[in-house]
Order: sequence, then C-alpha cells, then structure tokens
Amino acid sequence: MNRRVVVTGIGVLSSIGIGKDDFWKALTDGKSGISEVESFSTAEFPTHRAGEIKNFQPEQFISKEKVSKIGRASQLAVSAAHLAIKDAKINIDKDNTGVSMGTTMGETQVLEKLNEAWVRRGLDAVEAADILKLPTDLLSASIAKEFDLKGCVFIIPNACAAGNFAIGYAYDLIRMGRAKAMLAGGADAFSKIAFTGFNRLLAVAPDKCQPFDKSRKGMLVGEGAGVIVLEELEDALKRGAQIYAEILGYGLSCDAHHMTAPSGEGISEAIAKALKASDVAPEEVGYLNAHGTGTPANDKEECIAIKKVFGERAKKLPVSSIKSMLGHTMGAASAIETIACCLSVKHDTIPPTINFETPDPDCDIDCVPNVSRKVKVDIVLNSASAFGGNNACLVLKKFTRR
Amino acid sequence: MNNKRVVITGVGVIAANAIGKDAFAKAIFEGVSGIKPISLFDTAEFKAKTAGEVADFKPQDFLGDKGLRTLDRSTKLAASATKLAIDDSSLRINEENSRELGVSLGATFGSIASISNFDREALTDGPRYVNPGLFPNTVINSPASQVSIKFNIKGFNATISSAFCAGLDAIGYAADQIRLGRAKAVYSGGVEELCVQLFLGFYKAGCLAGLSGPEISVPFDKRRNGMILGEGACVLVLEDLDAALMRKADIYAEVLGFGRSFGPGNLGRAISLALKESGLNAADIDFVSSCANSTKDLDLEETRALKEVFGSGASKIQVSAVKSMLGECYSASGSLQVAAAIAGITRQEVFPTINYKEKDAECDLNYVVNKAKSCKINKALINVSGKSGYNSSLIISKYQ
Repeated sequence: MNRRVVVTGIGVLSSIGIGKDDFWKALTDGKSGISEVESFSTAEFPTHRAGEIKNFQPEQFISKEKVSKIGRASQLAVSAAHLAIKDAKINIDKDNTGVSMGTTMGETQVLEKLNEAWVRRGLDAVEAADILKLPTDLLSASIAKEFDLKGCVFIIPNACAAGNFAIGYAYDLIRMGRAKAMLAGGADAFSKIAFTGFNRLLAVAPDKCQPFDKSRKGMLVGEGAGVIVLEELEDALKRGAQIYAEILGYGLSCDAHHMTAPSGEGISEAIAKALKASDVAPEEVGYLNAHGTGTPANDKEECIAIKKVFGERAKKLPVSSIKSMLGHTMGAASAIETIACCLSVKHDTIPPTINFETPDPDCDIDCVPNVSRKVKVDIVLNSASAFGGNNACLVLKKFTRR
Repeated sequence: MNNKRVVITGVGVIAANAIGKDAFAKAIFEGVSGIKPISLFDTAEFKAKTAGEVADFKPQDFLGDKGLRTLDRSTKLAASATKLAIDDSSLRINEENSRELGVSLGATFGSIASISNFDREALTDGPRYVNPGLFPNTVINSPASQVSIKFNIKGFNATISSAFCAGLDAIGYAADQIRLGRAKAVYSGGVEELCVQLFLGFYKAGCLAGLSGPEISVPFDKRRNGMILGEGACVLVLEDLDAALMRKADIYAEVLGFGRSFGPGNLGRAISLALKESGLNAADIDFVSSCANSTKDLDLEETRALKEVFGSGASKIQVSAVKSMLGECYSASGSLQVAAAIAGITRQEVFPTINYKEKDAECDLNYVVNKAKSCKINKALINVSGKSGYNSSLIISKYQ
C-alpha cells in the first residue's frame, strides 16, 4: 500500500494545441481556443461559440481502418494515449497495464447521428455500424485494444470531474498492486446535446469564458482528451524515466444535495480530504488549479470552499482556471487540468485565467489574471466538480527522492 | 494489500422475476423465469419480442410519491434497489455517518434513453424548447448521483462503465475504497433499464435470441442462439468488517478477492488473479455463479476458462447461470449474479439454470440444471465477461 505513483508521460489534444509542447506554450501565452461552432449549425441556438478542436486529424495517430470503426471521443482518447506513451518512452508491460478514462456522455456525436436517422427516416435507417461505435466503454476499450493491454480497463463516467475520478482510481490500483502502470485521463467530443442542454440551463456565455470576473456570463462547451502514464515510482526510476510529478493522494466528496447546483461545502470537503490523504498542510500548497467554469454559481461556491480550507491565505494562493482558454472540455477537463498541473510543477510556471477584467468581491482570490506567472511551484491541487454534486481533488508534487 | 476485511451486510434486488432479497432467492431456487413479452415499448418492428422486464415495478412503493417526475427508469430502479439494501442492512444513514458512506454503481447504457430522448426532443421541437429539467439525466452518473441525493450519502459517488462487467467492477471498486479506508460502507451494484434504444442496439448488432433460432434463454444448451435482454438493479451493502461487527450487523458473506483482465480469452486470467488475491487454490471453490447468457461464444468461453484454471477439478464444481431466468441485464448482471451467489451461500443450495434440454458437447461442466440442488457452498466465484473484451471475477465466502 505504500508504493509511490508518478506521472511519466503526457498526451493532450485541445482546442489550443495538440501535444504537450504546443498545449503548454498556448496555455502560458494565454491563448484562447474559443471560436464559432463549425460542426453543426447554431442558427436555432441563442449562442454560437465553443471550444472545438478544428485541426484534429485522427489518421495522424491511428490507422485509417481503425478510425472508421470508432467515434470521435474514442479517436481523441486513443490519440492522446499514443502521445502519452510516446512521451513516456515506455516499453509497456502489457499484462499489467490498464486503462482508466473519464467521460460525461461518451460517444455523443455517434448518438446524435443515430437519432437524426431515427427521427428523420425511421428505425430502419439506423445503421448497425454506427450502433457498434456507441458503447461508452469503447473509450477505454479502444485504447486497450490499440496497445494490446490486458490489465484493469474501465470508464468512470463521473461527468465533469470524471478525469480526476479516473486518475484517482488508477493511482489506487497501482498503490494496491493491481497494476504496474495505468493510462488514465478523460475524453469528450464536442456535443450538440451538451451544447443544447447548457444553453437551456442558460449557463453558456455568449462570447468568452471569464472565470472569477464580476461580469462572468457562463461557461463554454469544449472538447478534448488528456491521458497520462502513471507508473510505480520504482519502475520509473529503474528505467530512468522523466518524472513530471508524483501523485500524493486525492479526495472525493458528494454534496448529496442537487444535480446541478455546486456547493462550497462539498468542494471544501474534497479538498480537505485530499490534503489529509496526502499528508500536506494547506500552507504547503503553491497553486490550485480551479474547476472555474465561469458560471456565476460555480466560481462563487468554489471561492467559498477555498476560503474555508485556506483561511486568510486564500487571497494569496494562486488559483487559476484554464477553462478561460479551453472552455469546458467535460469529461476531459480535469484530466487536461491534471496535465496543466504536471507541467506547472515541471516548469515552475502557473497558467493564467484569461479574459479577466473586473474583480468580484465574491471571488477575491488571486486568479493569476491574464498573464502566466513564473514562480517556484512544488505542490499543486487540481479541484473538479460535477453534475450530481460530485467533487474530486488531486494532489500532485514536484518529484523529489525522499 | 492491507488487512481490512470487507463483508456484505445488505442486499437490495429489483429483478424481472422478483423484487426484494427474499422473494428473489425464492424465485431463483424455484426456477421462476422473469422473461416475458415486452410491454415497455412496441416490438412490432422487431423479430424478437421478449425480455426480462421488471413488469410490476412501482417506484413509489420504495421512494414515495414525491420527486419522481423527472427521474428516468434507471434512476428509479437504482434508487429503489438501494432503498431495499439500506433497509435490509439496518445501517441507518444520518448526518454523523453520511461522510463515511459511499456509492459505486455500474452503469454503461443506464442513461441512453434519457440522452437519446433529450436529443430527439431537440430534433423534433427545436433546441430552444427542450425541457432543461431533463438535461441532468443525460450524464451517465445521474442514477448513482440521485441515489446519493435521495439517501444523503456524502462520502463519495462513483459510476463504473465496463459493459457487461460494470456491476461487478463497481463492487470491486467499493471493496477497494473500503480497504483504502475511504469509506466504512459502500452501496454498490449495477443498474440497467430496458428501453427501445438498448434493444435496438443489440438487435441490430445481431446479438439477440430469436433471430436465428428459438427465442429462449438457454445457457450452455446446444439450442442457444443469442441473449434475451433483461433489466433490473441490484445494490449490495459492502462494509468494513470491524464496523459491521461493532453494530452487530447480519453478515451474509465476505469479499475475498477480485481480478480483472482485458482482452478476448482472458477470463481465466481474471479468475486466477481473484484466487491469488483471496489466497485460495482453485480446489477451494465450491460454486460458480456464471455469466453465461445463452450466446454461442460466451457460454463456451466461460466453460473453457473454468477448465483452464480448474483443470481436472473443473467437472467437480457446481456451475449455474441466473441469466437463464433474468436475461442479460448488462451493467446490472454482475451484481445480480452476486446476489444469487449470496442466496446460495445462505441456503447451502445451488439455484438451477432453467430451460436446459440439449447437451452441447463443448459445454460439458457440472451445470446445475432445471432443479435446485443442495450442496455445501463455502466459497463462490462470480464471473463476468462479454463481447466487449472485459473480464472480471469476484470471490466471496461464507463469513467465518
């Protein structure tokens, strides 16, 4: 149970960059990935912008034949896994490596196509080949098949905190000796269903995502995938791997209160549990990567939670939301944010919250406004919340031998 | 692994042939089939017409009348099974212990009807007219989350999707979280609702019985030609042994070990991993609660996996498949197989694989067919596997 778990590879596909180098450069430059929606007509919708990945060519990573058999979410997931494995320079122990991915709704674009056929042309028009691409579990199964992995494989679809849940359980499995290494993260393809739903909840910003800003108007729907390679420390050291960060622990909580309304109490509980599990004191934390969706309720409740855990120091602790750049990549969000945390400790740089204009007394924290910050970063928290009142917080640390 | 022991102290079942733990045990030992003509949707366009539908399900009996309007069927099934499990375990949830309790539920297609209906409403009426109150149902973890909300369970809430294995994998997750000290007890199991979307999917993929043979669920039988879909929910209360002893709970069984392995033909490896974690030899297993679902491949594959692990001893173990009575309940299957195994341990009896008639030369193990059989059951193995490539095995024992 006292095995240590480290991150040794990173794969990311996002609207601001594909691959860790492009992603990190864009992130620290404060580049926005938000643009006009192109994958469907938004004429009937009140808003028209989102964080689509416009230059994704799955054939760059996966054979043409395989691409034709899986949906976009799985294509993103498998591509991210390719990038992560290449980055880790790992010779995978196939018998003892598994896959743990998060998602919100799985292959929604596939479902949208099936529904379109069904509604417009009837049940007969629904194609079996498309149905075979629908099962949610294909996100992980497709990765396992691509690399012939025989370990623990599953999905944890815990909505917008899914990535953290998936990475957390992958960490458990290595610690318990159930796996030597895990590919863990999250993926979601841009979804018309999500775009419809969040618009109906009046939660979507018309133009830009402005976390912690007084005039914030909501979130923006995005897409993406993030996969990390988790390994037992001893194995990583033995093979001379580059180590981005060590996972110290994590904490989960459930508000048990409301499907969509966030709760400062629940969020603070997950953060406090994560710190306790990791044996880290609040004053040791150098950066908190926030859930920061840019909705009035989320950011307010998250700040309440941060103040509850960090007390007076809450105003000085750097807290930023990369959703200001990517929008909300749903099941991929906390996985991509974990990647941002890994790169943050590696480069001693904190990515900014862009689009910040007007301070909000409800959010009187240091949100690292608009410009990235070069500062020593040792221990970081990645906080995430989800539909269903589900909160998950990861603790990562710059790797040191101890 | 640390030395925390995990036991099962509550069982809640909503199945096609019975509702409630005791009624379920009675039904499976009597060989009562829950498979019947589908009433939930029109089957006129399909060649297959039957399923293991929970036909007389009244959620208000378990959840009261209030707040049911926006909940989908999966959520109602899962919440009702949880209510039964909570009552059965007599573990009271209150503000003091709710942070030490968790939920882990297997669900893969649990929300498919909700997601699909939401989208179809947008396609028909336009995206400005969809009911926003139904949007929260479109995330796959909504049934589990509603369970936490309904019963005030605050420790954690996780959903596991791994196709046919989801229900058993959720139980594995729960046991791990208890061993890691993250919860004292976890409400854990699986749910699947029968809906036209799921049926259509399996139908078009050519997996259902009745397309190229008789429409029957006959695991291991030569006449098998596909699965009959089923639905239901089963939630177990997994509890830290010390906590269970402290409150003098009734202990139905102990969770000994779990194994997972991905890839076709790897069920044997999952079984071996579960045995290793349990510290057992193959010969220690008395009974297998099988995943056989009346498809050509799966029934044969499990038979082969058992031979691979148990060698010449394979013909001595009692094997039975509850899907002969329930159909293939997908994400709920694994948890229902565990409930069936618990009933077996309690009664020291093996439930039958019903409808069995014609022997298949390749499926030649010691299946308990058509009639229940008394025998010593100390250690039971529960297998799940399926076309998607997932394989998981759980071993439980009589508590000593």
